[in-house]
Amino acid sequence: MIQHPEKPFSIEESLDSLNLFIRRWFEKRYKEPTPPQRYSFKLISEKRNVLITAPTGSGKTFSAFMSILSDLMNLSLANKLEDKVYCIYVSPLRALNNDIYRNLTGPLAELYSDIVLPIKRISVGIRTGDTPQSERQRMLKKPPNILVTTPESLAILINSERFVEHLKGVRYFVVDELHELANNKRGVHLSLSVERLAGIIGHDFTRIGMGATLAPLDEAARFLVGYSGEEERDCSVVDATWDKKLDFVAMSPVRDIVNASDAVIDNSIYRTIDAVIRKNRTTLVFTNTRSGTERVVYNLIKRFKYGEEHIAAHHGSLSRETRLGVEELLKKGKLKAAVSSTSLELGIDIGTIDNVVQIGSPKSVARAVQRIGRSGHSFSDTAKGEVIVTNRDDLVECSVMLDAAMKRHMDTFVTPKNALDVLSQHIVGMSQTKKWTIDEAYALVRNAYPYHTLTKADFLSVVEYLAGKYVGLESRRVYAKIWYDEREGAFGRKGKLTKLIYFMNIGTIPDEVAVDVLTHDNKWIGSIEEEFLSRLKPGDVFVLGGKQYSFDYSRIMKAYVTPAPGQVPTIPPWYSEQLPLTYELAIEIGRFRERMADAIGSVKGKGVKALGLLDRSMLAPSGEALKILDAMPIDANAKAAIFNYFVQQLLYVGQVPNDRMLLIERTVDKEGGRTLVIFHSLYGRRINDALSRVFAVKLGEAAETDVAVNITDNGFVLITDSSVKVNRKDVEALIGAAGGDDVRVILTENIRKTEMMKRRFRYNAARSFMILRNYKGVRISVRRQQINSQLILKAAEEISRDFPIIKETYREILDDVMDLPRAAQILKRLVSGEIRHSIIETDVPSPFAHMMITFGEADVIMMKDRRRHVRELHKQVIARIRKG
Amino acid sequence: MEIARGVEILEGLPVLYIRDLSAIVCTDLHLGYEGVSADRGVFLPKANLRHIKEELKDAISRTGAERIIVDGDIKNEFSHVHVEEFNETREFVDFLRYSLGLKAITLIKGNHDNFIDRLKEPFGMELYTQEALIGGYLFFHGEEAPHEKGGKLLIMGHVHPSIAIYNRLGAKEKLKCFLHGRMKDKREILVLPAMNFFAAGFSVNAERGIGRLAPVFRDMLDVDSMEALCIGEGETLNFGRIKGLRDISL
Repeated sequence: MIQHPEKPFSIEESLDSLNLFIRRWFEKRYKEPTPPQRYSFKLISEKRNVLITAPTGSGKTFSAFMSILSDLMNLSLANKLEDKVYCIYVSPLRALNNDIYRNLTGPLAELYSDIVLPIKRISVGIRTGDTPQSERQRMLKKPPNILVTTPESLAILINSERFVEHLKGVRYFVVDELHELANNKRGVHLSLSVERLAGIIGHDFTRIGMGATLAPLDEAARFLVGYSGEEERDCSVVDATWDKKLDFVAMSPVRDIVNASDAVIDNSIYRTIDAVIRKNRTTLVFTNTRSGTERVVYNLIKRFKYGEEHIAAHHGSLSRETRLGVEELLKKGKLKAAVSSTSLELGIDIGTIDNVVQIGSPKSVARAVQRIGRSGHSFSDTAKGEVIVTNRDDLVECSVMLDAAMKRHMDTFVTPKNALDVLSQHIVGMSQTKKWTIDEAYALVRNAYPYHTLTKADFLSVVEYLAGKYVGLESRRVYAKIWYDEREGAFGRKGKLTKLIYFMNIGTIPDEVAVDVLTHDNKWIGSIEEEFLSRLKPGDVFVLGGKQYSFDYSRIMKAYVTPAPGQVPTIPPWYSEQLPLTYELAIEIGRFRERMADAIGSVKGKGVKALGLLDRSMLAPSGEALKILDAMPIDANAKAAIFNYFVQQLLYVGQVPNDRMLLIERTVDKEGGRTLVIFHSLYGRRINDALSRVFAVKLGEAAETDVAVNITDNGFVLITDSSVKVNRKDVEALIGAAGGDDVRVILTENIRKTEMMKRRFRYNAARSFMILRNYKGVRISVRRQQINSQLILKAAEEISRDFPIIKETYREILDDVMDLPRAAQILKRLVSGEIRHSIIETDVPSPFAHMMITFGEADVIMMKDRRRHVRELHKQVIARIRKG
Repeated sequence: MEIARGVEILEGLPVLYIRDLSAIVCTDLHLGYEGVSADRGVFLPKANLRHIKEELKDAISRTGAERIIVDGDIKNEFSHVHVEEFNETREFVDFLRYSLGLKAITLIKGNHDNFIDRLKEPFGMELYTQEALIGGYLFFHGEEAPHEKGGKLLIMGHVHPSIAIYNRLGAKEKLKCFLHGRMKDKREILVLPAMNFFAAGFSVNAERGIGRLAPVFRDMLDVDSMEALCIGEGETLNFGRIKGLRDISL
């Protein structure tokens, strides 16, 4: 059962639960326990499972470790401390592991300097992918009492026959940065490793989770502790997330972000950042991309004459040495500013940060709090930060987001459930350690929270797949990765190579393929994802690093382009990995839009002519609207920009869409000769992803055509050839049709040929060990891994629609990428009229539609009937050739 | 689709039928492909041989042909005969002989067919190296230019031709195709698409360097002048000359 202890223990009770030496050291070093520690010391000393959420600087590390060290110290004093692992600590980040190692060894050294008794000392060791072979050997002979590791290394350790012997005495299992694991497959992978560990050593252990900001907390707690058979394990949740004060502001670099030139906006952004840096001792700047990080560092140094020793970049593409160097400088307080994409977001120790500047929307309340929360290191300090945004949708979004953060409203995460690809890896791992009966293995897997609802049939399908059942008997010698006897209902080890397959291919992070983009004189501009390249045709204009380029041709991992300044991009940028706006936040934005529109209300009806005027002169916010804006954590420019954004939308079409009023706008894209149907559906991308495809399918069926979709957090666009006419009645019919069927069925049938399906299938095939990254000591190039995923997919489908990798791909798309239950609910409410809709026609897209057309994730829903599809293609090609 | 007297592309199939030889012609089967690739860590589901069998069964039932000519690359590996190739080749030959009742199996050796000689005897195949003039038709695989000067129709494989069409919406469609046209010396030539299931093909209208792939395209034949006969669903459609398909987007 998940419990929420309401009152902290008294300071005395908390300290009393500690070993005397540990207590003395703690009291010498700190005045008193921090709020989370006043729960955790006692709870952990009672061997209870605990989830602690608290911001940086709240003594989180010691919340977990003080009681553990205390327990080990007691052992040591009783002369019972052996050379074995008592505690495993797992974090998603190697850099964090290094920190924890230092944060444990440092205090331990202090501690022992005060103890004159000849006792055995508590040892700490790190084991990650970086650990040298010699060190691993040493660890095998003399294991550390506290083992610091990553999810991937842990999965390898539990399969190492010799090392497992050292794990038999594990009493504590600590997971740090739980919020970075509970919502993705990496965490799912870890959850199975933990249950396997418990199975291997034959007893349970105390589970301790630490995380910054996450909701719902109960889901996180369940993820941490899992089940024992049908029984949910107990867990106490210690929530000290909000004990830190927040001071956030969203700002617009200029008053008029629509008409200001890029140069003016850039100037203002950099001046703002510069001012913040000068005002503070140490500033942390977050951008959303690595290239953005580089750009900011470059510009700050160039424009304001900072020395390179004052400002540094920190992101995943930089070498480990460079990153460690930057962290070291930060800790010593020698840097004025560090600029980072995501790498400094987690709890790496970087000393005291006075202020955080975030450029662009962090996309969720949790992330905003996480990032800005890095400032004001001590628990009692206020976290201070500015969020600088350069388009009006993001401005509205960030205003509402920061407002929600200050009001302590948190958006939610979900844990992927029953992922068959991750399960495949672990069944291969399990098969190596002993012979399993199906029932026994199935029961163990179900102890992990993400697999508690796994069906036996799905479990068996994975076992059968791994046994090579999908190829003929004569080929199974090559294909099978486990031994499986159907009649006996048992599986186990097969072949010598499989052990290596497990060790060399474990993990859940897909290989990203970056393709270099070069001009014809071989100047490097940046890189794009290979999938993005596959969508480019010669002549396409796309944006990279803020500039336009026209694509000419590609040659082995290089794309050649010509600069195309001022040209309209023909292909939207690829946002596949960008975080989606959460549903909760989207609804909050909807409410804000409604309130703003009601407040402005009176300017209605001045007509389009006034809009021309407004283009040049911005109105000053006034009346009720100003009151609303004044209550938001935003600056004066932002207030003006948001106010005018709403006024323009109202003047132009008389309506501001919100979560209870869906605006559907038909328009034409004159340059591209395309028909656009824009749905202002403000529900976040996971829901829009599903909704857009349902509508695209229905439009495609009605008009007998392919339909492209462009999906954003604030809505989606259906795009067809201009020859396809879509009138008001068609749109009405579309809503009826979309509401008529089971959303899951429509999507399953129609996402088959999409780019998303192909990409995700390839990742899943790799994670299921169908396409290996390393085999027989050879690293297999991504190119080779990729041999036409569409054809592999087709071949796999011929085996069965329930082939586990295919099933997992659909599951991942429908349940993780999309939010199907909510999308279906919205459709239902739309059909019933509970969500109103309004259909309008525009010559030029309305202001609220602009971002939806130019940005977003693009995909195409193709006609299902392939014969007709090819014929249509033929007809069009011939017509085009005739026209010359 | 009849492309010359008595020479017919079977609708919707990557297969040619020559009436006066009573033969069906196909190329680039790459049998054993999945097994070979599994050995390299990519465990593809088996689909190739099953599809080839289905298509050839269809071809024989439509034409009643008694002979098959494979214009090269019956198997996949360059350097040796992989066990999966051996097994699949045997299964394939048995299928042709006993299930389809074919009387003769002819193979023009391609670049992947080294070591196939040792399969010749047990499998009872008629074997030619690189090219063969059979009944006035010049079959050659294609990684070398044809040496023979005669032949009323040249038939080639090797390049796995396909065309790529992009549409304005950003979708890309790749279609396997036959290439049909005339050599500079006026002889008629037909390039066959690959039968292999996993070969999406070389996009003749979009990619460059076909001359490096097959020397016949260097100075004997202009690929732009050839017509693309694309395989659709149950039908084959003429998409016109490659020249017209360059840079096309709908």
